[in-house]
Amino acid sequence: MAAIVRLSSVCGRGVKPLFYQTTLLARPLVVPHKYQEQPHQLTARIHASQALHAGSASKAASLHWTGERALSVLLLALGPVAYFHPVPIVDYSLAATLTLHGHWGLGQVLTDYVHGDTKIKMANAGLFLLSTVTFAGLCYFNYNDVGICKAVALLWSK
Amino acid sequence: MSVVGLTSLSRCGVLALRSPAGLVAVRCAQTAAAPAAQPRVKKFQIYRWDPDTPGDKPRMQTYDIDLNTCGPMVLDALIKIKNEMDSTLTFRRSCREGICGSCAMNINGGNTLACLNKIDTNVGKPTKIYPLPHMYVVKDLVPDMSNFYAQYKSIEPYLKKKDDSNEGKVQYLQTVEDRQKLDGLYECILCACCSTSCPSYWWNGDKYLGPAVLMQAYRWMIDSRDEFTEERLAKLQDPFSLYRCHTIMNCTKSCPKGLNPGKAIAEIKKMMATYKKKEVAAV
Repeated sequence: MAAIVRLSSVCGRGVKPLFYQTTLLARPLVVPHKYQEQPHQLTARIHASQALHAGSASKAASLHWTGERALSVLLLALGPVAYFHPVPIVDYSLAATLTLHGHWGLGQVLTDYVHGDTKIKMANAGLFLLSTVTFAGLCYFNYNDVGICKAVALLWSK
Repeated sequence: MSVVGLTSLSRCGVLALRSPAGLVAVRCAQTAAAPAAQPRVKKFQIYRWDPDTPGDKPRMQTYDIDLNTCGPMVLDALIKIKNEMDSTLTFRRSCREGICGSCAMNINGGNTLACLNKIDTNVGKPTKIYPLPHMYVVKDLVPDMSNFYAQYKSIEPYLKKKDDSNEGKVQYLQTVEDRQKLDGLYECILCACCSTSCPSYWWNGDKYLGPAVLMQAYRWMIDSRDEFTEERLAKLQDPFSLYRCHTIMNCTKSCPKGLNPGKAIAEIKKMMATYKKKEVAAV
């Protein structure tokens, strides 16, 4: 252990007076924090394998999951709202949420089944294009026609 | 009425005692419900592939077994085949009582332990036995578990403390309630029945950890003595390790120990959404 601390201090500090190093060995309290951690890291390396995939520090993956759940709940809530208040703002909300819901859902399918760097990039680009066209189309329909809420209601109007 | 019954009984007994033919008739009538000595031959179709034979292709080989001379479980049939019919048949087995997890295989379309799976006594239908699906096959029913074990290792399945200066000196005590949280998790024997029944694991087994490993990850996350919960969670922050689970629930359905990996994964997802990031950043 002492050898490890000594070795690391040599490596880390490059050329330093020799007495300085022996002082470090004699009084471990003076050893900088990162050198103290070294032995623990080494034992950890012996016990454990390397992580298969280093997890990222960001919470992007779990935020995405939370977003998907929140959107699903929102979409469920929009159903009754659309039924009782078929107004333009609900039409546009539906256009946005439906598109995003489909975009994320199909994105999961692509992540599952499309393997390979180039292929997944192309697939995601295609999906983005599809979602954009979908959203634009729904907005066009909302603007120039009866809107999503009334269009669905028309299915029962006969 | 009872008198009549009694007399008829005694008369019958007298008859049986007097004539040997009557005795045989009575005995036959009594044992008629039990299976007769006629053989119940059941077909077992087993996946065979030998890597040592050049150019050998996987094939199904059929074995006929008389169930009267065989134990009740599929593993008994396999051992009988290996002992008496074909010693080249290769499979893993050890404890024969569902505690080692060696004999995990696909029997009649479902992943299970051969030692816990009763032979279907319908002799008209052959029993089909394959190795665990979507695993590299070493030989016959033996799959290559290297990736599975490496994934298990990657979740660091042991107690971790921020300060290990007390290691080996004191017991890390736990309340009864905290200990109870581990029930239904620690019993996992890592047979890989669940992971290899999961379509997500089939398509992304290299990056998705799979239900068995994730349930053990959860087991260490919720251990009251473990101090690396946030770090363990942070390790799963990518689209593949955890989030390839789409709640298909084949894992829970197939588990031969009756555990629920699907629920454990759902609990991890909930913890992932709520744990605090700054504690991770501090370390």
